Amino acid sequence: MSLPESMSRIVIVGAKSHIDDAIQVIYDVGSIHLIDHTVGADEGFSLGTSRPYSPKASERLLKVRAMEKGLGITPKVKSNPIPEAEIKSQISSDSVETVEAEVNAVFDRRNDLNQRITELSATKRNLEILSRLPIDLEMYSGYRSIFSMVGTVADDPSTDLVNADVEVFSSFDKKEGNVIAVFARNEVRDKVQSILAEHGFSEIVVPEGITGSPSAALTAIAREEEAATNELDSIGKQIESLMVKYTDFLEASDEELSIEVEKGELPLRIANSEYTFVIDAWVPESKAGFVKNELETKVESVYVEVQETRGRSLDGVDDIEKRFREPPTKMNNGVVAKEFEYPTKLVSVPKYQEIDPSILIAIFFPLFFGFMVGDVGYAIPFIILGAYGLKVTHHKDWRAIATVFFFGGIWAFIFGFFFFGECLGMHFVGIPTDGVTHTWEQLLGLNHEAIAGFFSFLPEGHGVSKIGAEWIGFLMKLTVYIGVVHLALGYICAIYNKTIQHGFKHAFMEKGGWLLAFLGIVFMCYGLANYLIFWLESGLMTVDLVCIILGIVLIIVGTVLNRHEGAQAILELPGIIGNVLSYARLAAIGMSKAGMALAFNYIAIDMFGGYVWDATAGTGSFEGSIVGLVFCLIMIAFGHLMIWTLAIISAGLHGLRLQYVEFMAKFFDGGGIEFEPLAIKRKKTVSTNA
Amino acid sequence: MIENGIVDITPGLVAIGAGLAVGLAGIGSGMAEKDIGAAAVGAITEDMSLFGKALMFTVLPETIVIFGLVISILCIFVM
Repeated sequence: MSLPESMSRIVIVGAKSHIDDAIQVIYDVGSIHLIDHTVGADEGFSLGTSRPYSPKASERLLKVRAMEKGLGITPKVKSNPIPEAEIKSQISSDSVETVEAEVNAVFDRRNDLNQRITELSATKRNLEILSRLPIDLEMYSGYRSIFSMVGTVADDPSTDLVNADVEVFSSFDKKEGNVIAVFARNEVRDKVQSILAEHGFSEIVVPEGITGSPSAALTAIAREEEAATNELDSIGKQIESLMVKYTDFLEASDEELSIEVEKGELPLRIANSEYTFVIDAWVPESKAGFVKNELETKVESVYVEVQETRGRSLDGVDDIEKRFREPPTKMNNGVVAKEFEYPTKLVSVPKYQEIDPSILIAIFFPLFFGFMVGDVGYAIPFIILGAYGLKVTHHKDWRAIATVFFFGGIWAFIFGFFFFGECLGMHFVGIPTDGVTHTWEQLLGLNHEAIAGFFSFLPEGHGVSKIGAEWIGFLMKLTVYIGVVHLALGYICAIYNKTIQHGFKHAFMEKGGWLLAFLGIVFMCYGLANYLIFWLESGLMTVDLVCIILGIVLIIVGTVLNRHEGAQAILELPGIIGNVLSYARLAAIGMSKAGMALAFNYIAIDMFGGYVWDATAGTGSFEGSIVGLVFCLIMIAFGHLMIWTLAIISAGLHGLRLQYVEFMAKFFDGGGIEFEPLAIKRKKTVSTNA
Repeated sequence: MIENGIVDITPGLVAIGAGLAVGLAGIGSGMAEKDIGAAAVGAITEDMSLFGKALMFTVLPETIVIFGLVISILCIFVM
């Protein structure tokens, strides 16, 4: 069984004077999972302070990130990796600061221009309104005894202003709004203001320092605005060229500085005394010797001790100090099963003390997927797409999908070819007589004898006879039996988990009852179903009676064993039937897919193509018009593409659901801590050590 | 099916029964899944790592429709 890798706890003790070397080696080894130091856990030790180079690196990192944001460089932008030594020397020779000065100069200019353009367009708006009045701009100000007010109004105030001894210039337009300029003596300012306010006056600021007619000023402003916009465009191009120029440098220095900061802050997580540091960590048991050797030989005055290798037993685990209680989980899978760790992690990371279900998912998920698809015509695109995806993509979500496509596609091909014997919803062999279904043998006019002989390994022999009560009943039974096997495996896994945690006796008392109750239900239902469905034909057989009695006995024994669960032990029993019947979806989805294919084929071949089969001559031909034949092809392409897409959703989701709900719920706890070793992943820089 | 002028409606009734079994069971699981699905989407928006668990809960009631299917197949092929 596939348990997570066995973990050892180590303690690394060293002199503080050599901590930088130690950190370097720890990151190089790449298999040390740090246990954070708890303040006050050990007398005389406290958390350390970050390394002297760390604050400077953080500051530079901040600058680099700010520039990346400004220039629009995201981690997705492709860049050429720079060697580690080169980027290090560039950073230490203040390249970050030089680049920042250059980039910021451009950014500052851009901000200035943007501000200028905003101002200009505001002035332009005002001038556009003022240009509707026949007054030069300098005429609005410079008076001693009179004042001017200009602005927009909601309606005409001139009748109210008549008594106020004012001069009014106005332009009224329903579409563009009403503009009014009022000149009056200083003494009546309050009165004029209040009259204007009643008519919804909103004052316009007359631009200062501009003389002449507003329309002439307007052209000048427009020219200035255009110049500014042009310069802004050229700044935009400059920024683009800066981005191209510095993408490599910025991404590489981002990565390098992040690494430096992370390394520099390691002391914040470990125990320090005045002259020494102490690191508690988990390492895989297989790596413990290697880690000890590396650290002790490469770093001066460092001592590594393997404290313990943690077993799987949970007995007495509560006595262990809290920070050492749970070892991290490092899933231990082969190349193929590794791709299926993703669906496991979607639920939860397995605990250190339980089976990692990835390998079981790797076996059953593609199998179920393939069974539900079960068609050569759909399998081949799945295989091709899956293989291509596995080759090119590194994103974990897409990889997971490609994995299912590839392995599921292979199973779909196997089931489609050797079991269902069909391609694009049509069986390989047989001559249908119903006028609805078709076979490849019929459509392609192949020799009956040889083809039928070749495909005689198919269950039921011929394809055509498969659309019948017998075959569908057989499929239903088969899927339920698959479910019984799958679920029994789940219950066995549960017992195994409890065995490694607490010993077999405890496991049997806790989970054995469920296995017995499950088997009891299976036997009882087998007997009952045979009795209820076929009793008219055969009467109550002895075998059925024995099954029913055996089943009831097993259920009772199982329930008695389960008495620690209380009422749950009885209430859960019908749920077991539900779980088993749930596997009937394997047949149901396969059938629904075949049903849809049948309908599309009928529409395309018979309705559009006008296919006529001459039973006496044993030949068929397409009698439809050219247009009909074109529609026939379009219909086939569209219909099968749709079924294929639906197959991804239905078969994929239901295949996964059977793993999650029916299977894993029987034994999987999850909630483990993922093994995250201190290591450096370089993407934008190239390591020079390796 | 007409025999001596008497119409045998049994196959028709069986077909209606089978259809009702699947259809009503489908409505039932749909109603159950509706609420769970809404809650699941809400939870996923908060925390993407809940996707697996949310999916699990969302598809739980789907088994109901499988019961309907089993019954309808029994209706058609066994009756």
